[in-house]
Amino acid sequence: MLTLDNVTKRYGSLTALDGVSLRIEAGEFFGLLGPNGAGKSTLMSLVAGLRAPDGGEITLDGQPLSAARPEARAELGLVPQHIALYPKLNADQNLRIFGQLYGLDGATLRQRIDEALEAMQLADRRRDPVSTFSGGMQRRLNIVASLLHRPKLLLCDEPTVGVDPQSRNAIFEFLEKLNREGLTVIYSTHYMEEATRLCSRIGIIDHGKIHALGTLDQLLLKLPFEEEIRFPAGEATAALAAQLGGHGSVEKEDEQCRFRPHSGYKLSSFYQLTESLGLPARLFTSQRPTLEALFLHLTGRNLRE
Amino acid sequence: MRTILVLVRKDFANFFRNKAAVSLTFVVPFALIWLFGTIFTGGKDSGPTGIKLAVVNASANPGAQKLVAALQAEKTFRVVTTTTGADKVERPLREEDLQTLMHDDAFRFAVVIPPDLFDEKSFGLHLKIYTNPRNEIETQLVNGILQKTIFSNVPQLLGQALIARGRGIVGAETLARFNRATADNVARSFGGNADEILKQIEAGDFGLSRITGGSGDSGTGDSLVNRAIRIDSVQVVGQDVKSPRATQLVGGWAMQFLLFALSAAATALFYERDHGIFHRLLAGPVSRAQILWSKFIYGICIGVIQLTVLFCGGRLLFGIDVEHHAGLLILTCAFAAAACTSFGMLLASITSSQEAASGLATFVILLMCALGGAWFPVSIMPQFIQQFSKLTIVYWAIEGFTQVLWANASFVELLPILGVLGGITAVVMAIAVSRFNRGNIFG
Repeated sequence: MLTLDNVTKRYGSLTALDGVSLRIEAGEFFGLLGPNGAGKSTLMSLVAGLRAPDGGEITLDGQPLSAARPEARAELGLVPQHIALYPKLNADQNLRIFGQLYGLDGATLRQRIDEALEAMQLADRRRDPVSTFSGGMQRRLNIVASLLHRPKLLLCDEPTVGVDPQSRNAIFEFLEKLNREGLTVIYSTHYMEEATRLCSRIGIIDHGKIHALGTLDQLLLKLPFEEEIRFPAGEATAALAAQLGGHGSVEKEDEQCRFRPHSGYKLSSFYQLTESLGLPARLFTSQRPTLEALFLHLTGRNLRE
Repeated sequence: MRTILVLVRKDFANFFRNKAAVSLTFVVPFALIWLFGTIFTGGKDSGPTGIKLAVVNASANPGAQKLVAALQAEKTFRVVTTTTGADKVERPLREEDLQTLMHDDAFRFAVVIPPDLFDEKSFGLHLKIYTNPRNEIETQLVNGILQKTIFSNVPQLLGQALIARGRGIVGAETLARFNRATADNVARSFGGNADEILKQIEAGDFGLSRITGGSGDSGTGDSLVNRAIRIDSVQVVGQDVKSPRATQLVGGWAMQFLLFALSAAATALFYERDHGIFHRLLAGPVSRAQILWSKFIYGICIGVIQLTVLFCGGRLLFGIDVEHHAGLLILTCAFAAAACTSFGMLLASITSSQEAASGLATFVILLMCALGGAWFPVSIMPQFIQQFSKLTIVYWAIEGFTQVLWANASFVELLPILGVLGGITAVVMAIAVSRFNRGNIFG
């Protein structure tokens, strides 16, 4: 559906995107995961036609997606990072404006607005100025304002920044429902939890380059360990931590030790060791490694940096 | 106390970081003080200069020529004595030319020295003054200086008037003998050369200047002079205007409010940029040009509505005759609003934030209002400042409103002013659009 072929974008001496190539299929929920300044918003703005790439090509359904093709852009919906609404106008007026810009009117527009407000649980506040909404409500409205024209491809540029957990869940469920109904979504975030929960495929981006691309399982296979075991740091576990060093990496973080065993190291060996040291099993938590760990592995820095 | 000092220091740091606040606090007042000072204080180039004054001298009396010379010497006036006829040949102005030329705003004041400057049948002088008092301050000022100039020269003219009157009563020969005898008697009684005294008497110099002070200052002598001069005033333009004072003022004030309103509207572009609204719009089937055109059209509409409300308010409160000029007034409002909108968009295109744009807008608007004649007539400013007046939107918009409401101008007569406003709009918008395309207003 959407193809980026060796796309480059520079701002002066800064290379924001460096030869990015991507192919996103129809119906995908594609996540773009990276820290602030990684190039996510630049990539979104190029796909949205807000800027032109300095090199490479972007195509939608095989056609070049340039700013000069408004009919192509009508197939896109952009949820900007900011709450791009008119705060003094009410929810209904905001949606009406954005719907009309996409050529909707009359009963169709009315129906789409009703559906959108209903889906985002904002129907009872439709006549209230947006400025009186909570941050979460504004975010929800910000999203549906991009969907009235029923785009094929929705670009969500960090759409949950500053949102409370309840609104975040509502947004996730709404986007998941739309995706199940066939909407292709590109979702940029620096929250690995969001990418993990929502995205069928994830691209890890940093310094303008895609470092890894694939499903969550495919990405995690790139790590040299399959499990991650955590236990409290302290005198009781100091001997264990010392002995584990030969079988993988042990890192101390926030009073917790994180053991990432080398590939081939068996968990049964680990538990034999803890038993021999007289440490109770309740101290240990085993889990799959996270995208955070993968990001660190790939880039040498944390997602939050 | 330490806490308070820290907070105070914080406020200072914020203040000096805010260029708009700094310019509003220091630069704007300084610039306006300088401008007002230059206009109203006694500097080298201060005071009104170069106000066009047409002078028609239909009198053969040498005193009349002296009066013309006195008017020409007055720096307030730029005396016009000739005009170009239909055959493109320059010729002396005639009284019958004045009304047409004043309707065309070639000049707003004219003095006619009629053939009967001195009437042999009655004592005193006769002058005619034609005015287009479209601006009260300007008119009072010109009248004041005109009277001062005339009165400074009146005593001698008055003497000539006396001689003329005497000649009419007793005849030239008897008057000559009377003057000769008077000169001899004065020389005999008080000393002096009898021939010189006779010359002075025949020139009309009876020493009245020493009674009146010769300067037109108020006093008993002035009253005498006042009674001795008959000035016929003819108002050429605006004589039928219902509420002259309000009509004269409304254009300038309307422009001031219009500029503030439309600059604020244009600088709201920054809000839409900073909140990603332009990104949302541009990601859809909306182009940059459409956004700018929408802002431009919105500016014109809101400007026309604002001006219409202002003029209707003027109609209700002061009886300004709006209804008879509605069509041309709305047209002028539209052109003025277009020019003001383009100005606001230019400000938005050359600044980087709403605060900076607002600060610059305040400065430029106040300056334009002062220079353009919104507060006081352009003609009372020094000549070098007047050169800048015609570069302002305010000047041309006021010209337009005055032509419609005061001079009852026709569409054709209004066209040149509308053309200038349209030209300003086109040029300023072209610069603004070019800047927008190269700048970061669209993120």
